[in-house]
Amino acid sequence: MTTVDEPLERLQFLDGTLEVLILRSLQLAPNHAYGITQFLERQSANEFVVDNGSLYPALQRLLQRGWISSQWKTSPNARRAKYYRLTPLGRRQLVAATSKWRRFVAAMGRVLAPEG
Amino acid sequence: MRAWWSRLCRTLAGRQALADDLAAEIEAHLDLAAAESSDVGMSPAAARDAARRRFGNVTLIRERAREAWGFPALDALGRDLRLGLRGIRAAPGFSCVVILTLALGIGATTAIFSVVHAVLLAPLPYPDAERLVWLEEATPQAEGISVTWVNYLHWRRENHSFAEMAGFEAMHLTLTGRGEPLLTRAGAVTSGFLRLVGMRPAGGRLLDDRDEQAGAPAAAVLGHRFWLEKLGGDPAIVGATLVLDGKPYQVVGVAARDPGLFRKPIDYYLPLAPFRTATLDRARHGSMRVLGRLRPGVTLAAARADLDLVLRRLARIDPGPEDQHHAFAAFLAPHLTREIRPTLLVLMSAVGLVLLIATANVASLVLARSTTRVKEMAVRTAIGAGRAHLVRQLLTENLLLAALGGASGVLLARWGLLFLTGMGPAEVPRLAETRLDSPVLLFAGALTSLTGLLVGLVPLWTSGKLDLVSALKDGSRLSPGAAGGVGGAGAIGAIGAIGGRCGTSLRSALVVSEIALTLVLAFASGLLLRSLIAAQTLDPGFRAQRVLALELVLPPSRYASPPVARGFYQRLEEDLRALPGVTAVSAVLCPPAAGDCNDSFYAVLDRPAPAPGELPVAAVNFADPSYFGTMGIALRRGRAFTAADRAGAPCVVIVNETFARKWWPGEGGGAVGRGIQLGGPALDGPRCEIVGVAGDVSQLGLDAEPLPEIDLPFAPSESAARVVMVRTAGDPEPLVPAVRHRVAMLDRSLAIESLRPLAQSLAATLARRRFGTLLLTLFAGLAMTLAGVGVYGLLSYWVSAREESIAIRVALGAPRGAILRWVGGQALALAAAGTALGAAASWAASRWAESLVFGVSPRSLSTMAMAVAAVIGIAILAALVPARRAARLNPVQRLRRLGQ
Repeated sequence: MTTVDEPLERLQFLDGTLEVLILRSLQLAPNHAYGITQFLERQSANEFVVDNGSLYPALQRLLQRGWISSQWKTSPNARRAKYYRLTPLGRRQLVAATSKWRRFVAAMGRVLAPEG
Repeated sequence: MRAWWSRLCRTLAGRQALADDLAAEIEAHLDLAAAESSDVGMSPAAARDAARRRFGNVTLIRERAREAWGFPALDALGRDLRLGLRGIRAAPGFSCVVILTLALGIGATTAIFSVVHAVLLAPLPYPDAERLVWLEEATPQAEGISVTWVNYLHWRRENHSFAEMAGFEAMHLTLTGRGEPLLTRAGAVTSGFLRLVGMRPAGGRLLDDRDEQAGAPAAAVLGHRFWLEKLGGDPAIVGATLVLDGKPYQVVGVAARDPGLFRKPIDYYLPLAPFRTATLDRARHGSMRVLGRLRPGVTLAAARADLDLVLRRLARIDPGPEDQHHAFAAFLAPHLTREIRPTLLVLMSAVGLVLLIATANVASLVLARSTTRVKEMAVRTAIGAGRAHLVRQLLTENLLLAALGGASGVLLARWGLLFLTGMGPAEVPRLAETRLDSPVLLFAGALTSLTGLLVGLVPLWTSGKLDLVSALKDGSRLSPGAAGGVGGAGAIGAIGAIGGRCGTSLRSALVVSEIALTLVLAFASGLLLRSLIAAQTLDPGFRAQRVLALELVLPPSRYASPPVARGFYQRLEEDLRALPGVTAVSAVLCPPAAGDCNDSFYAVLDRPAPAPGELPVAAVNFADPSYFGTMGIALRRGRAFTAADRAGAPCVVIVNETFARKWWPGEGGGAVGRGIQLGGPALDGPRCEIVGVAGDVSQLGLDAEPLPEIDLPFAPSESAARVVMVRTAGDPEPLVPAVRHRVAMLDRSLAIESLRPLAQSLAATLARRRFGTLLLTLFAGLAMTLAGVGVYGLLSYWVSAREESIAIRVALGAPRGAILRWVGGQALALAAAGTALGAAASWAASRWAESLVFGVSPRSLSTMAMAVAAVIGIAILAALVPARRAARLNPVQRLRRLGQ
């Protein structure tokens, strides 16, 4: 390995991970698209940059699969926004995806762990 | 499944509502983000702008999100098609030229391909047609020799290569007892023939083995057309009797269709065996040809060797004059089309070149247009079109243009096909069956997609990176024609839009190749035109005008004995001579340009005897003593025939100049007085003295070199078939009824084979050449027009891109002439490069044309010079308009515009 990771460069989402993260961001409470962006960037300590060009299509895909549902509501600071919430199906998917992701990370870690 | 279902529901249920919802959601998103920014002290407007910048390309994101709802590919296609149509309508002139150019190229190619498909490619309509083989006899010198009955019987019995074999031969029989006597064409066939060609009876039965047995009642199967047209489609015809050459035949059936293997349509089929069973002579030839179907897995070479083995065995046990004969075998389809094939292949190549030129032209036009669309593309990119998106949309637009061109081309092809089948030479097999059927339409579709892709991809080929800012600025500052050209280093359109040197040099290359291809076509059509002119104007060796040719075949039933036939012709000729307006009458066996009529082996008596396999062959003709005078054939040496050259007198012959030159080159009168002997390899024919040398008359057609020929007076050998030449003082056509009447007065039941002016039948021998030449010339003209348009388009663009520099030159005092020369020089440079390339290509390809060229060298320099002159002329003509525009440019106005 000659390339060294550049810590200032923010991380790109791997395929399919954005959907899982959206589900996770809605686990505690419904939220709107801007709020989801904020949540993800904050939670990842600004490691992730959320591109709206990926976020909006991902939301549409989740809606179609019936994993989330949407509703226009008024936000606490009196602005109207479209809120997304997890459906029971989405909740089950989140559990499954979380455990799958843990296994993946553990496996990656074992493989990448320095020898000895 | 579930996702798909919900997607479908959403797609159907108000996409507009969804789109509005999405737009509102994004607005809300921006509001929230802006509100947060203004919370930290930004002005509301600045906060809003910051939010928008952070958000990204709104249109693009909206579109990507929308793609998740429906069937994006289908959606995008619909949108691209709509945009494409809009693009086409936005430039009607450009679109019309492109569609017309493609329609001409694709239409011409499709029309010619439909003929090639029907005549050369489509399988013959016989069962297992790919295994059908045409069989004949051949010697080391000659091919096309008929198969003797005895050889056929042995072939059929002893071969191991053929599943089935059948002989067939055309005969002329006179039908009597049903109104006017009718000369009919019988297909005399062995029983396997109708099975081999897969014939079905439309009524009754076909011929079978029973009909070939000795003593079986004479049976006939009617051809469908003959039954309908000559016998009124009488349904009760089966079982009726036809009297043919005085012999009754019982009609046993009607055939569903004509298999079309005979040179001319056949009226009915008869069993061949009864005409032949008396023959035991292995060297006794009729005109029978043999058709065989190979067993699966047997190669043509193996079958040929198999038949040769049979012939060699026969030569051992039954030696005869034809022991050198071997078998000729060729697959049926290529054999039937061997004469028209070179013409069609040359036409197909020519039309392919026309299509290439058309494609190059369109590509050049599209390139030119894309330089004017830099601004449009920049705007599209600025408002959110991705690069892939623009590529797809431009490709769709070009494919749509190509599709419109292709559809118009197919319409043109339909029309062209009527013309092709209408004026094509009659002897081309299956020409009348040419259709725009599914394989042809598939071909047209493939051509269309290919040209569309090529044309659509050309502008992408050199596409660089789009510099939005400079493209937008340049686009707004410059006249549209010059947008790409003067736009500076970076102003190269993202997609489709290329400008500057790159596009222009690509267009120049396209135009140069157009000119090169055009020169190839012009040169080829020049060669063919000169060949046609040569064939039509070369002295044919006789005076063809004002001669009626009356062709008769006396039925053997009543004219079996030679004196009877001779008496008939003598009386007929006397009667015709007595007609007012007739100046001379003579009969001949083979009229000029009659084709393969009669030939014989011979030997020159004072030369060493050739080996048995190497006997020379000459055309042999029989003529009245007065024939040479009547036809105006020059007698170069010696004397003509006289009335004294009759049966019983010493045999005398007249040879043609080609014959005399072949044996006595350089000696003017060397031939006269020499002796020759005629006859097969055994040279059992008469020994004759050469008494004269006549001028050459081509035997095979006006566009064929003459063969060595030996002419004999009619007396020594009688023939029931003759052509009576009637020379008239004026136009021969009005004498036709009188001649017909004289024939009927002598023999009421004699049918006339043909009666028409000789010039007409001579012209017919050039039908194929005229057909090919006309089409090739048409294509060359098309190519020149297209190349002219190409040069015009390129130079117009070149001039508009250089208006500034022209204006500056004029302002600095350059004379108009210099400007004209400058533009003209560009045209000449293009033309010179193109013609040099084209000349080299023509030279390399001229070998191909060899078989079609007559009376002119396939590398004729003068023809090349004419073609080059024509092409350069076209280029100069095409340059004239842009050159004049350049010369008349008002420098003051143009430069003032620059300053704005």
